[in-house]
Amino acid sequence: MTGASVAAATMASTPGLTYAQTIGGGAPFDDYRALVCVFLFGGNDSFNMLVPNTTAEYNAYAASRQNLAIAKTDLLPINPVSFTPGSEPFGLHPAMTSLQQLFESGAASFVANAGPLIEPTTKDQFFNQSVALPPQLFSHNDQQDQWLSLRGKTPSKTGWAGRMADLIRTNVAYQQMATNASLFGTNTFQSAEETVAYVMGATGPLEFGFMSSDPDAGLLYEQGQAFGRIIDASYQSIYERGFAAVQRRAIDSAENVIAAIRAAENSGAITTVFPASQLGTQLETVAKLIAARDQLQMRRQIFFVATGGFDSHDDQNQNQPGLLANISESIAAFHAATVELDVADAVTTFTQSDFGRTLTSNGDGTDHAWGGNQIVVGGSVVGQDIYGTFPVLEIGGDDDVGGGRMIPTTSADQFAATLAKWFGIPDADLDIVAPHIDNFMQRDLGFMA
Amino acid sequence: MTTRLISLLISLLLGIAGCGGNSGGGNNEPPPPTPITKAEAFQFLNQATFGATDAEAQRVINMRYEAWIDEQLQQPASLQLPHLQSVPPPQFMFQLQPDRVDIWFRNALNGQDQLRQRVAFALSEIMVVSQLGVLGDQPYALASYYDVLARNAFGNYRDLIEEVTLHPAMGAYLSMLGNEKPDPVRNIRPDENYARELMQLFSIGLVELNQDGSIRLDADNQPIPTYDQAIIEAFAHVYTGWTYAGAPVFQGAFPTQQRQIFPMELWPQFHDTGEKTLLNGVTLPAGQTGEQDLAGALDNIFSHPNVAPFIAIRLIQRLVTSNPSPSYVSRVAGVFNNNGSGVRGDLGAVVKAILLDEEARPDLRMDLDGKVKEPILRLTQLWRTYNAASASGRYPYNFAYILFGQGPLQSPSVFNFFSPFYAPPGEIRDSGLVAPELEIATEFLNTYITNYMFCQTFFWNQESSPDCGPITDDTVLIDTTAEVAVANDADALIDMVGEKLVAGRISATLRTEIAGMLARIPEDQPNLRAAETIYLLVTSPEYAYQR
Repeated sequence: MTGASVAAATMASTPGLTYAQTIGGGAPFDDYRALVCVFLFGGNDSFNMLVPNTTAEYNAYAASRQNLAIAKTDLLPINPVSFTPGSEPFGLHPAMTSLQQLFESGAASFVANAGPLIEPTTKDQFFNQSVALPPQLFSHNDQQDQWLSLRGKTPSKTGWAGRMADLIRTNVAYQQMATNASLFGTNTFQSAEETVAYVMGATGPLEFGFMSSDPDAGLLYEQGQAFGRIIDASYQSIYERGFAAVQRRAIDSAENVIAAIRAAENSGAITTVFPASQLGTQLETVAKLIAARDQLQMRRQIFFVATGGFDSHDDQNQNQPGLLANISESIAAFHAATVELDVADAVTTFTQSDFGRTLTSNGDGTDHAWGGNQIVVGGSVVGQDIYGTFPVLEIGGDDDVGGGRMIPTTSADQFAATLAKWFGIPDADLDIVAPHIDNFMQRDLGFMA
Repeated sequence: MTTRLISLLISLLLGIAGCGGNSGGGNNEPPPPTPITKAEAFQFLNQATFGATDAEAQRVINMRYEAWIDEQLQQPASLQLPHLQSVPPPQFMFQLQPDRVDIWFRNALNGQDQLRQRVAFALSEIMVVSQLGVLGDQPYALASYYDVLARNAFGNYRDLIEEVTLHPAMGAYLSMLGNEKPDPVRNIRPDENYARELMQLFSIGLVELNQDGSIRLDADNQPIPTYDQAIIEAFAHVYTGWTYAGAPVFQGAFPTQQRQIFPMELWPQFHDTGEKTLLNGVTLPAGQTGEQDLAGALDNIFSHPNVAPFIAIRLIQRLVTSNPSPSYVSRVAGVFNNNGSGVRGDLGAVVKAILLDEEARPDLRMDLDGKVKEPILRLTQLWRTYNAASASGRYPYNFAYILFGQGPLQSPSVFNFFSPFYAPPGEIRDSGLVAPELEIATEFLNTYITNYMFCQTFFWNQESSPDCGPITDDTVLIDTTAEVAVANDADALIDMVGEKLVAGRISATLRTEIAGMLARIPEDQPNLRAAETIYLLVTSPEYAYQR
């Protein structure tokens, strides 16, 4: 067991102790910052999203990908600033024109071949098992869990956003809404020891329609009061208490948050048109919540939005364009809205996904693999670049553990630590957010300014 | 645990535990069994049906548990496919999904095979296929698949996984359908989707288990994986060569009504005939047919020691409690391994063992027995109690998965609506316990359901509301005639609703709060008084709790 995983195991077994400390004496933050996690459920085939465009590298890709390769002439060329100007060393999937524009404008970057690792791992080390590896590689829920929790081999059930919220909880005690908000259900990412994420729908929270907190509302007021007292009664069963706790949080937050969203809508501050997709709708709501940040006294927020359908075992060539277009259009609209709201510098959006997919085909699709490419977008992103090491997409190559499953060359911990540092987590606490960060030379990938 | 032991001791002293029989000897008559109380019957029926009712509770009290189960084991399955085939085909197949959900509700609410339907629903949350995705256009496949679960609910697990594996619904959902042997020239290797999920989710899970469900650890205190990538790839090779019955082409055939319902067929030229090394080093020799490989692979999985505790835990969690004790799991897994007649995998015996176990019948008691009711079961119990029906006879709830967070074969993914391992933050997680159903009991969904219950109890019995929509021939209404008749007497009204929904076990707080609200609603509004009483009860934590 490595030192870091011992630390993580200790952390998991002693809830509360870790978070006794406060950041900066618990002083309120003097600025606003938000992280927006866009989770792509199913395992995004991101080696068809960001594709090498130089001859030798493209040919290796095409030989591996065969009938699933994007034609070179169809790629949308991009010019990362770290490469020779005008060389167009990479291209994007043809469905991602908006993301191409965002990248070329400097508002977006990619982190190449990232994935869960416990320590740096080579192909030899993988096969002779001389390094610790995340358990259950290539399994959906386990690798989602790794990305969202960064727990490695420890049994921890908290997520890295949850741990960030715990770390700053005294700094944001005045906030009217939980630091963590999900628009896509309960998730490991925001799960914590001390704080609880607030789960709303794609268009925001729902009101309890037939109760009122207005004392002049007569029977509806009385009903709300009775309902609340029933919720707050003492119950013998942990299951009753668990259920009642959700009801209590729902009552406490709904009215405030809905009022703030309505105010944001009425202000007309957001004119950007979002895609009508589930992801677009969620991001539109996030934009409204960000617009309402002052009304809710929010200084630090982490949003979880998500969309599914990326498990392209079948019909990949038919389905992938729509999936990637949706990411591209939704994220671009969201960024445009943050520009409108004059908060682009304070909002960073990033993708995560179960895993990348096999370079080889199963006939009409791909299977579960490991490393993949992630998108980071926002005014504080050091844009128009590709971070980390983009692997040679060759079957049997140095990074392939079989069938075109790429060993990540950047760890999910490094990815998270870079975002956490920008969010305001001190360097000394980064190992709480990203428990294996000390195993990697580079604590900060440099994509955040 | 102490309380549980005490209740066990008491039941042993009273001779009702059913284990061991009478050892007293002599010619003494066995003591008469302790009468089953209505509360106990309700507890049992909320585990074994889509909602306890007064009438069924009386039958359980009269018959006692085992005879009631034995009767249910003999009930033939209420099916979905014949109903769907009786409906004129719509222009587009997806338009038939509401009829599929409709027949699910009819069977769940009114089927005589309540236990079979409840177990089939549990199985549909383990061996998941879903309308959301590629099967959205294949309602016949989904209905037929559900019928497979219902028909095999008390059959043998080995037969069940074979029917599941070859069903075109599963074939299309987890892409075994059209899966071809390797083609190195095109860098094509077999699809691993079904290979992985059959093992991870339907049979053995990721790590080795003891019979009591606890995780086996290696010398470094780490769990021991049940399989690795090489074994998945071997199984992926097994599952090659299968496609729709009667398809003109191996890949890309249109899923006609017939192709949706017949087991997949083998195209030998697409089956990999190489040697395959499976679980525990078992090898399938080269040169076997696809059928032989499949039989060998399913035998290999079926014989794995994990299957018994894995299936025991999942069925116990769906029917009885989120946190079974290791000894409970071990007892049920023991019955899976041997039903008493030397048969492995007898699901009827497993279900019976789950429901008759002392831990399924605890005293009125302890804080960690039972579970959170699945949201759709909160609805079906209310509907069964109040004979809910629409004028058209239909239950138009195709959007159950939005309204209630779950619906028949409407999971968002093969991982079901919630994880068997979900532990909400707070005392449940801190105690090392789980509460799977709370994963979907979000602030959002709970509010949605609370609002739905208001419409169900208030508006839809009296008048349309802009918030609840107009009453149409398809609006499902509950029948509260009896409550309305006694509504001028608050105590009688609360007693009646409490007896029907929670066998009279209504908390003092809830009674007080309902009475307080009734004091504000005039006696000349009996409909409102009845609605208020039911509403506050069915939205309460105690109703959301399955004891």
